[in-house]
Amino acid sequence: MSFEQFKDLFQRAFESEEELQEEYRAFLSMFEQLNRAPVPEMTDDDKATIFNRAWLERPQKVSWISTWMNFFKQPAVAFVLGIVIGCMVMSNAKNKRLDLAQPVSADTLLTIERTNYTQTYKGKMIEEFYPEFENPRIVLEQTEESSPPQRTLYGTLDNGEITVVWNL
Amino acid sequence: MNQHYPVSDEALIKAATRGDRDAAAWLYHRHVDKVHRICYRIVLDPSQVQDCVQEVWLKVFRSLDGFRSGRSFAAWLNTVTANTAIDYYRKYVRQRNLHEAHKGHVEALATDEQADEAHVLEQIQTALEEISVNQRAAFTLRYFEDMPTSEIARTLGCAEGTVRVHIRRALLALRERLAGKLHQ
Repeated sequence: MSFEQFKDLFQRAFESEEELQEEYRAFLSMFEQLNRAPVPEMTDDDKATIFNRAWLERPQKVSWISTWMNFFKQPAVAFVLGIVIGCMVMSNAKNKRLDLAQPVSADTLLTIERTNYTQTYKGKMIEEFYPEFENPRIVLEQTEESSPPQRTLYGTLDNGEITVVWNL
Repeated sequence: MNQHYPVSDEALIKAATRGDRDAAAWLYHRHVDKVHRICYRIVLDPSQVQDCVQEVWLKVFRSLDGFRSGRSFAAWLNTVTANTAIDYYRKYVRQRNLHEAHKGHVEALATDEQADEAHVLEQIQTALEEISVNQRAAFTLRYFEDMPTSEIARTLGCAEGTVRVHIRRALLALRERLAGKLHQ
């Protein structure tokens, strides 16, 4: 400890600088003895042991999503899950074959029905295009290959009381 | 001190909080000797020091997430170390018979080849044991770690005036206890 540091601590306890210096000299031998008491160093093994324990015992933040992800990433779980899903799909396919002739949903945007000579367009898109008509549909007719197609709008008014046929 | 290292403490802390073990090890090895020195001077019993150091690092790694960047890690670590060592010493004294532990320590040192040197060290150790743990902590940080009084006050969570009183009393008590013994 330097004299300045010592002075900072004991300045008020002594009346003169000389007294303070004399007191400091009395402390010097004690400081020398204290300096002869070094701290023994830790071995590298001790340091490593302490680090490993402290590091392993720290709390680890694991979110529930990553916990589930890690669970399903396990090969055995993934394998079993694959078999279960496969069985479910096969069972569904065998018992409920896909119905390809499902009725047209009211919400279908555009439905096209084709025959040899006509194409009929109907659906939500046509209804929004002609909101004043009920059940509007546009029919494209081509009587001969060389003749231009005829576009006709069919629909009703007043709850079906009036039928509208409009050549476009 | 931190700016002399190629990688700052803050960068190592960020990596360590993400689970980077190497970064944590680097941070640990950078500061472990100082932590050990402070623990040794406050706890005094060599058989207990490693457990105390372990406790400090457990606290550090547990609360690393809560460490605010922009603050000095070294200063925060000093606070954790000094307070953990003070608490550890108090618990240790409560749990065990200090007198017996001390006796065993003297015998161990007395069998050493350098008996005279060991005797002086033992006298210092005894003198340090006889002052209160708060005085010893303040004195250790000021005298051995060369820490300014204001920083010691922040570290120990008390007023600067209290720190000065602790150090003064520690110095006077040490001189009183060591003056007669060291020159025998």
